[in-house]
Amino acid sequence: MKKITQEDYQKRLDRITEVFSGMVEHADEQSQFRCPYRNRHDECTAKIRCRNQVALAKKELPLTNGVRFMCNHDGSFDYRDAWDSDPRSVEKARKKVDQIKKKADARRKND
Amino acid sequence: MADLSDIQNETIQFEIEEYLERAEEIERNVELFAQARPLMQDIAAALIEGEHETVDQLSKQALDENIEALEIMDDGLIAGMGIVGIKFRENFIFVPEVLSCARAMKAGMAHIEPILSEAGVEKAGTVVMGTVKGDLHDIGKNLCIMMLRGSGFDVIDLGVDTSEDDFIEAVEENSAPLMGMSALLTTTMPNMGKTIEAFIDADLRDDVQIMVGGAPVTQEFADDMGADGYGKDALACVSLAKELVNA
Repeated sequence: MKKITQEDYQKRLDRITEVFSGMVEHADEQSQFRCPYRNRHDECTAKIRCRNQVALAKKELPLTNGVRFMCNHDGSFDYRDAWDSDPRSVEKARKKVDQIKKKADARRKND
Repeated sequence: MADLSDIQNETIQFEIEEYLERAEEIERNVELFAQARPLMQDIAAALIEGEHETVDQLSKQALDENIEALEIMDDGLIAGMGIVGIKFRENFIFVPEVLSCARAMKAGMAHIEPILSEAGVEKAGTVVMGTVKGDLHDIGKNLCIMMLRGSGFDVIDLGVDTSEDDFIEAVEENSAPLMGMSALLTTTMPNMGKTIEAFIDADLRDDVQIMVGGAPVTQEFADDMGADGYGKDALACVSLAKELVNA
């Protein structure tokens, strides 16, 4: 078998990265109109619960790869809003991190 | 010039005929697959269908038949992924299908990696990745993992709802110099900070560079928590990983 060089391998990685980068960019665009957890059969692949999930009758389960819900959304809004966070919640999270850090520092001083 | 009928695998023939619309892409793929061995066409077809077990088995078979590892990558795995990329771009398939195909590619690469390592080819590094405790969102993390693996990183995927202890154990066990945490909820974001503190308590903070990401996370938040870097998406995650590992 021909010995593989670092250069041979790098060439393949570059090609894979080119293909994957296009995919990641498209995934971002696609998230404007389609939930990323929704597959080609309109099944929901998420492990989270969502109000757009529709449970099917037992006899219809499981769907592709054990998926259990269909997605009922009409896809007419920008899904990225769903991932955006309320600034007040972010501020709350920041305060919580401050508390965690302060508590940890105090505990270490006492140890 | 090759013709579609020169391709033996019917799935590949169908995929090209049904999903490829641009003349130059049809021509390039017909040429590529027409010259590929039937077994390479079978690997590509299984990858396009996201059948990781078949890709695993056929890649092993190809190596057992003394087919070069680079040929398996070029004519099987990468060629198949090229079709997946086109189908995704044209909205014939979506993110969950792409991730299944990436999983199939990983199954094939698992047989090639020992050969690369034997040849002295260096990997980019090892990264431990997981979604933090209490959070079950995984698409962003999985896209990051796909990109990291495609860029030559070994990735230990801890999945979702990952505790501080699980992160610590995985970093120690794999001597990983790099770790990535994801959170999509403001309520789980603080668990990134908790995990960083746990690394300090375990006296491991200096041994690992920590990246964070996820929709509500910002550079400022990452700095507040004491993370080493923040990536806003999967492309940024790879750039950051390369930067940190080479620092």
